[in-house]
Amino acid sequence: MTSSGEPNSPGERANANSELMRRMAGGDRDALAELYDGLSRPLYSTARHILKDAAEAQDVVHDVFLTLWRNASSFDSSRGAAFSWAVTLTRNRSIDRLRTRANRARLLGNSVPDDLGYGSENEMLGADARVDLGDRAVAVRSALAELPKEQQLALELAFFSGLTQREIAEKLSEPVGTIKARIRRGLLKLRDMLANRL
Amino acid sequence: MIDERQEELASLHALGLLEGADLEQFTAELARSPELQRLAAELRRVSTALAHQAPDAEPPAELRARVLASASSFALDPALPKAFPTNGGLVPFRSWIPWLVAACIAVAAVWPERLYIRAESENVSLRERQRLAQLALEQTRAQLGDARRLLAQSGRQIAELSANLKAEGDLAHLKIATLASMLGNSPAALAVAVWDPTREEGVLAVSRLPALALEKDYQLWVIDKQYPSPVSGGVFVVDPATGEAHIVFKADKPVHSIAKFAVSLERKGGVPKPEGPIVLLSN
Repeated sequence: MTSSGEPNSPGERANANSELMRRMAGGDRDALAELYDGLSRPLYSTARHILKDAAEAQDVVHDVFLTLWRNASSFDSSRGAAFSWAVTLTRNRSIDRLRTRANRARLLGNSVPDDLGYGSENEMLGADARVDLGDRAVAVRSALAELPKEQQLALELAFFSGLTQREIAEKLSEPVGTIKARIRRGLLKLRDMLANRL
Repeated sequence: MIDERQEELASLHALGLLEGADLEQFTAELARSPELQRLAAELRRVSTALAHQAPDAEPPAELRARVLASASSFALDPALPKAFPTNGGLVPFRSWIPWLVAACIAVAAVWPERLYIRAESENVSLRERQRLAQLALEQTRAQLGDARRLLAQSGRQIAELSANLKAEGDLAHLKIATLASMLGNSPAALAVAVWDPTREEGVLAVSRLPALALEKDYQLWVIDKQYPSPVSGGVFVVDPATGEAHIVFKADKPVHSIAKFAVSLERKGGVPKPEGPIVLLSN
């Protein structure tokens, strides 16, 4: 802990979130408010990046925090951090909406925009303008930046696009095997680089 | 020892990209291997950290209030029992009455709102699903119409193909023969005979045969081995200018296996058995 009482190390942060979840399981709404203050920004950023729609991203984040609130008693810190759980919920729900939207567009006969924003450097390079991000976010972005570009792109598409392996391969005009290898190498490198920082 | 393939499956699994048989296989391996479980957990943690790669966006302030308000409405059930004293024996029953009234009023006030929020949320979801279902239904109807049209079109094509196949089948049964000239003075004379055994009917096309005197006829013969003599196919004359003739003929007797066709020069009206010279003969 820092002198101000804020958790500092990754382990302290995870423990603090686990404690908030435990309090939430007991009906403590202040704990929910604290967890919201700590996690809402990365969760909202993730949902917004996947959905490219602020209103839908808000719905997803709202839904995720309600799910955490209602299911806090089932949270088991030995199975993963609260942050990981929240990110997984956010990503899954965002991708579900993305696919529902694509399905609706198909039913309406509209084409889904092919360019989902990946591959264009605008947003990725926009990271330079990031402010108020925690150490963790900076660490993750720095580690990602050290990966070869093709591994970065494969991981970003795998995480944010909602595309399948085959669709990612088609989008990047590469064999599926190549995409799988890039994802494997990229994730393993990230694991090594972030070993003591997550 | 974890191999590259397991690392690959664990990576894809962490990102939710495993499907079908790969997913089943990996799940089974995962259940057996604590080492693989550790790797999968590590990669899952790393993969969720990718969320930090999203461009930073500040959620609107009202979202916090909305989340906390919704949490309040959902907290009602677990909270209710805690609102009642657990050491009831120390509180006189009459002193409960105001609390009960207040609780009833609170429940009466909050429950409808909670129910309304839930119902409204479900309504929105149901309306959306209904709209999608309606769209799917309309699309299915359109596809059904297309399918019916295609079916009708296919039926017509099948009928045409059947007719063509039948025609081709019939063609395969036809006996087709070329008759060459046996005449020294008209070596270019030629004829083609086509015999349809199903209908027991044939067509003969002749060209460059010399025109005949009025008391003469050409006579077509069908040679079937079951008969000792050729069977007559009828008489014909040719156009004096071109030497051509086209006739549809039938044999005088039922024929089963035609060996050859022949044309002879006979007296007017024809004869029961060939008497004159053979002018055309098939191979």
